[in-house]
Amino acid sequence: MTNRHQPAGKPAASPAWYPCCLALCVFANSAFADAETEALREELQLLKKRMEQLEARLAAAENRDIEIKEAVNETAAADSSGIQAFDIGGALRFNYSWEDFDDSAQSKRGDIGLNIFRLNVDGQYENILLSAEYRFYTFMDTIHHGWIGYDFGDHGQVQAGITQVPFGLLPFASHSFWFGTTYYMGLEDDYDMGIKYINDFGPWNLQLAAFKNAELGNADDLERYSYDPVTTGAARNEETNTFNGRLAYTFGKDSECSNELGLSGQWGELFNRDTDDSGDHWATAAHLDSRCGRWNLQFELGRYEYNPRNPAGVSNDSITFGAFAFAHEVAAEGYFGVANIAYNVPVNWPRVDVITCYNDFSILHKDDSRFNDSLLNTTGCAIGIGPTFTYIDLIRGRNALFLGDGSLAGGGNDEWETRININLGYYW
Amino acid sequence: MTALNDTEKDGFLHDCATGRGQPLLILTVLILLFLSCRSVYAELTMVSWGGAYTRSQILAFVRPYQQQTGEQINVIDYSGGLIDLRKQVRSLNFKWDIIDLELSDALRACEEGLLEPIPPQALEAPADGSAVESDFIAGSLTPCAIGTVVWSTVIAFDPAALPQTPQRLEDFFDTERFPGHRGLRKTPKANLEWALLADGVPADRIYATLETEAGLQRAFTRLNSIKPQLIWWVDGIEAPYLLESKQVVMTSAYNGRIADANNNRNAGLEILWDRQIWNIDLFGIPRDNPNAEQALDFIRFATRSDRLAEQARHIPYGPVRKSALQLMDREARLHLPTASSNFDNALQIDARWWAEHFNRINQRFQKWLERPLQVPKNLPR
Repeated sequence: MTNRHQPAGKPAASPAWYPCCLALCVFANSAFADAETEALREELQLLKKRMEQLEARLAAAENRDIEIKEAVNETAAADSSGIQAFDIGGALRFNYSWEDFDDSAQSKRGDIGLNIFRLNVDGQYENILLSAEYRFYTFMDTIHHGWIGYDFGDHGQVQAGITQVPFGLLPFASHSFWFGTTYYMGLEDDYDMGIKYINDFGPWNLQLAAFKNAELGNADDLERYSYDPVTTGAARNEETNTFNGRLAYTFGKDSECSNELGLSGQWGELFNRDTDDSGDHWATAAHLDSRCGRWNLQFELGRYEYNPRNPAGVSNDSITFGAFAFAHEVAAEGYFGVANIAYNVPVNWPRVDVITCYNDFSILHKDDSRFNDSLLNTTGCAIGIGPTFTYIDLIRGRNALFLGDGSLAGGGNDEWETRININLGYYW
Repeated sequence: MTALNDTEKDGFLHDCATGRGQPLLILTVLILLFLSCRSVYAELTMVSWGGAYTRSQILAFVRPYQQQTGEQINVIDYSGGLIDLRKQVRSLNFKWDIIDLELSDALRACEEGLLEPIPPQALEAPADGSAVESDFIAGSLTPCAIGTVVWSTVIAFDPAALPQTPQRLEDFFDTERFPGHRGLRKTPKANLEWALLADGVPADRIYATLETEAGLQRAFTRLNSIKPQLIWWVDGIEAPYLLESKQVVMTSAYNGRIADANNNRNAGLEILWDRQIWNIDLFGIPRDNPNAEQALDFIRFATRSDRLAEQARHIPYGPVRKSALQLMDREARLHLPTASSNFDNALQIDARWWAEHFNRINQRFQKWLERPLQVPKNLPR
């Protein structure tokens, strides 16, 4: 190598340490040959050790399938016995409505406002289950449901707390945001305080329940989600010690075309606070829930009776029901029917996950000949786009609750009323 | 360099003798040791598909290569796809040195510049001296990846769980005669082809049909007929376990995994070879990988005819080298997807078509998975 400051052809002067280093290497090679041999021996040992490790890994790989199988079995066992997992969710919903019976709403072209903010907790610790939902409305806040459960695997599940009453079409006897007439009578999506047992035996589904009382344990409180007899009217009755049984059989379960046929029964006491005496109430229903391809047909037919022990002078013809901070009368006896049809529209739009369109019809035929039938028909679509879900409903009702002066007992104006309702929610 | 004069020599010897040169000495020895250790313990990481397939690779060429060279090969599992490879190549942060790829992924990765080019000349020629190119079956030598085995996606079933033995692909879609859940790999590949074949589309029209919206919809409609009964698997090892644990009565599966379940666990499973869809696995090297030279050396070793033949002894996947096939005994060849009795109406997956269309169709497929066929029972209220 030449230095650019050095005249060409003249070798650069070697640094003083060059010969030292060279000699050092020579010296190291000779004087430390033993050390290098030792190092190589150590390398050999390391290689042997490495080979042993590789042999062990190979053995492990050969056993891997067995381990995975065991893991699969363990997972399956965990699935049946439960794992530790909790989900917190909720929803924020807004609602638009236009009503043909509300002059001011017509002039304003409808109203829009906050519908609910809700929080959900669903969890599982080993076999112990938890599910709860609390809802905040602008005019009230209340628990929707809240129960603790135990999963017995193949032997079913028990839920204790505020849990859905097993009656008729489940989980709903409708597809729309507005529900059907049965909801406003406490025979759809009703929640009470008690204990419930659920089990599947192949195509059979059995649900048995015993409820001490309605969800809040306070029949004076109208700030509740589901409809029950309340004590705010002239006849102060409340349901207590109610028993439910529901048996359903599914033809073609998990197939492209499944048909669930079911029978439900409900019986309980109806305690009157003024007479301190209990009458009774009962209801029964048969249902068909047919899901063939993209079509869903639902039928339900049933009868109910409330036999109160009212004080003298108080009519037994109707029972006061309440929820959503509002009380209304329901005929004490009658027949109810549900006929719904829905179609899950095939969509190929990239952001749209589901569009389900439906027509829900329900009727309440009251035994009292003075009372007009109550009818409710909702045509609409539910549209799911990512975390949002929107119901667009055209609701038509005659003697239906919240539609003009409709009544589920007597005294309604017996005219068809219309409401357009759009409910937009973000769910997480 | 000038010669050492006596004074310098004396000074050096004096330094060594007095111990002042010891740090330099130790440093030199350490450097020599480090260099020698580095050459012996260079590590390579190979990513593959796990289970019996990876085991066959370890036995056939990973362990022999380690024994021969002393290099360590780490083997890890993955479930295919190019997402991780893209991340590694784009960030130059390599976790993998050798990748076992499906043909469509290999072609796409090569087009995207994610793999090192591998010339055929880098491979070991067959013993008869013929050209490497003529020794590999058509399509198994690509510019960036070297084929190893022919494997097949087949319908596997548990004969004890069915009222009769399925004979044709159409039986997989017939839930009346063959009731029970089905398993399918969570990918549009092979599933859409089967859906169209079962719907009466001729094999030579499958990909032309899938290119049209109507054809794609036809495939999804056919799959809809069994959608409520489908259970999806991702890792190849899951497929036989779905059958063994009685979760399904029929499932798609890699043929080697079913053979492994029968050989090692006496699972008693059977294969329906009708309309098997065969594919090729290949080795590739991530682009700009600093260990590319060593990785290529490994691939050269692993794709030797004797190594591929050895792999086929551990899993019934056909070697892509003709010279390797000749090294196998006749009985073993009968269990390969390429055996004439199994290969009657086999369909080769069109890897080029999938390389071009996979992203678009997979998005559609994933949406289809999420979208319920039936009216949801529990619309949010």
